[in-house]
Amino acid sequence: MTTQISIDPITRLEGHGKIDIYLDDDGAVADTFFQIPELRGFERFVVGRPIEELPRIVTRICGVCPASHHMASAKAVDGCFGGEVAPLAHKLRDMYYQAHFIHSHIAHFYALAAPDFVLGPDADPATRNILGVVHKVGLEVGGAVIGARSKAQEIQRIIGGRNTQDIWCLPGGVAKGLKPEELEQIRPWVDELYDFTQFSLQLFRDVVLGNAGYVDLIVNGPYTLDVHNMGLVDQNNAPNFYDGQVRVVDFEGAEICRYKAEEYADYVAEHVESWTYLKFPYLKKRGWKGFVEGLDTSLYCATPLARLNVADRMATPKAQEAFDEMFTTLGGHPTRALLANHWARLVEMVQNAETLKRYCDDPEITGTEFRVIPQQVTGEGVGIVEAMRGTLTHHYTCDERAMCTSANLIVGTTNNNAPIQMVTKKVAASLIKPGTEPDQGILNMIEMAFRAFDPCYSCATHSLPGQMPLQVDVYKGGELYREFRRCC
Amino acid sequence: MSAQHSYQAIRSRNSGAPARGRRPARTVILGMGNPILSDDAVGIVLASALKPQFEDIPGVDVVEECCVGGLNLLDAIEGYDRLIALDSIKTIGGVPGAWYAFDATALRETMNLRNVHDANFATALALGRHLGMHLPEDRRCHVVAVEIADNTTFSESLSPALEAALPRIVADVRTHILMTLAA
Repeated sequence: MTTQISIDPITRLEGHGKIDIYLDDDGAVADTFFQIPELRGFERFVVGRPIEELPRIVTRICGVCPASHHMASAKAVDGCFGGEVAPLAHKLRDMYYQAHFIHSHIAHFYALAAPDFVLGPDADPATRNILGVVHKVGLEVGGAVIGARSKAQEIQRIIGGRNTQDIWCLPGGVAKGLKPEELEQIRPWVDELYDFTQFSLQLFRDVVLGNAGYVDLIVNGPYTLDVHNMGLVDQNNAPNFYDGQVRVVDFEGAEICRYKAEEYADYVAEHVESWTYLKFPYLKKRGWKGFVEGLDTSLYCATPLARLNVADRMATPKAQEAFDEMFTTLGGHPTRALLANHWARLVEMVQNAETLKRYCDDPEITGTEFRVIPQQVTGEGVGIVEAMRGTLTHHYTCDERAMCTSANLIVGTTNNNAPIQMVTKKVAASLIKPGTEPDQGILNMIEMAFRAFDPCYSCATHSLPGQMPLQVDVYKGGELYREFRRCC
Repeated sequence: MSAQHSYQAIRSRNSGAPARGRRPARTVILGMGNPILSDDAVGIVLASALKPQFEDIPGVDVVEECCVGGLNLLDAIEGYDRLIALDSIKTIGGVPGAWYAFDATALRETMNLRNVHDANFATALALGRHLGMHLPEDRRCHVVAVEIADNTTFSESLSPALEAALPRIVADVRTHILMTLAA
């Protein structure tokens, strides 16, 4: 029986991500396999519970995008009760969701993306973080980041009652509306958030676009894939993060398909591989063709970049300007440059902020009719939203008492499982060549590949060390050749 | 799920700059975890079990459930002089039910919840101090980490091994916290 032990717990941790790289006899990359811990048993956990509780339960699935799961779940639950929702509730949900998008994108860009570009991908890992960014570009940036995130989260809290672990959506609407005095509290913050999106774009121009090496890495580096793109769009084929139809466009810009939420099972299927629990979604009508690129592939990305690739335009004017600038710089629309995901997040933030402004000026937004009481149980519902890191689908069934009988989720990162595998291999193959000794630099370059997807890996867990431990094993001739570890 | 005493409520009570002059050190005890991921909830369970014994001590706040991390965690600890975080950990070969105590100075890389989308806690702490936020010093950021068996299965129950060890863990951690507060 053990009591207190004081140790450094960072070494030898379990639950880590693992990349196996297999080299051929010449020392070139033959194959790679990326495995991550997966959460299990969700369906078993929710079956038998009242279906209207699921929007509150699913906020625990992800510690970063609880609002995304809350929204998708709410829409699926709405479907289980016949689908009628108060129009004002849709507006309020969308308004709340824009704020959620903003603070999440801010966190990702400044904490994860900016360090690589402001400090460089080869910088000391100890300084390649948001603090390093602040040291280099100024204290003002750090204060602005913290302030902007706080304002966006506070907007969420004012609209929906909480800024995390949401409990706001109910079948047919939401639990609270927006009072006029609350709107006036939010209004100046929305203006400040818009200003911050412009500041962030300018920072990107100065630091990234002003560096020819970075632009070359984005446009011409190994971080590209010829797979298709998926995202939610409105009737004008502009991005809509809360509602719309799912549109899939190939990497040359031609539409492959579009579908309503309830049709998702006709368009998306999931392939299983023996070496990982996480499935590989693909376009069902094309059939599983393996981990292949090209126009005939059935694989797709669902990411911020994919959303912009799918769109013909943005929904708001200043976001449209940012969209045009981005694709002109990248050489056209759509683009295969996966590192541009970081830029796409900044463009999306502009639309988020402009959409918030529109709602602030909407005379109906402080109305009181924010819920309709369901009158029937129809037994099945599908809710799709864009999570920050990809198209999120919740599909529920329930019995006549509205008790959950099944639940199926396709989360944003699952959509990207195959592309992540493929770009990991591509980057590894570009870096590990015959005669080249693999080193720690490979770890970061590989991380950059899958970090561009902002993958959701067990971020519902809170166990130490908090950062996903990563192990990279390189095999040659069937034997373990080199081993790299971070936090494990 | 039962209502939890959230860090948001604590924060709204404690907003504003600390008073000048000598005052008792303000401590927050945070139960970190996810209540529906099996043993990941152990920090929450511990905080809930210990709350009645600490909440009436002047200068001590107990937050039973804190489910945020990275930059968001700064909101939970701003204004406090001391943090005691109750959390879970998985080490290769570790025995579920063992527990470890350390502070932020002992962690090379991270303390809870970097999650792959945000800054790690050590970085967030450094950033917050750099921006002038009142945050506990590293040596006053205490962590109690319980070795767990399962944090990837959805369940509102702890694993059998942890459930069996829980009474002993609660007693041990209670003693440890009392000693920490007295130090």
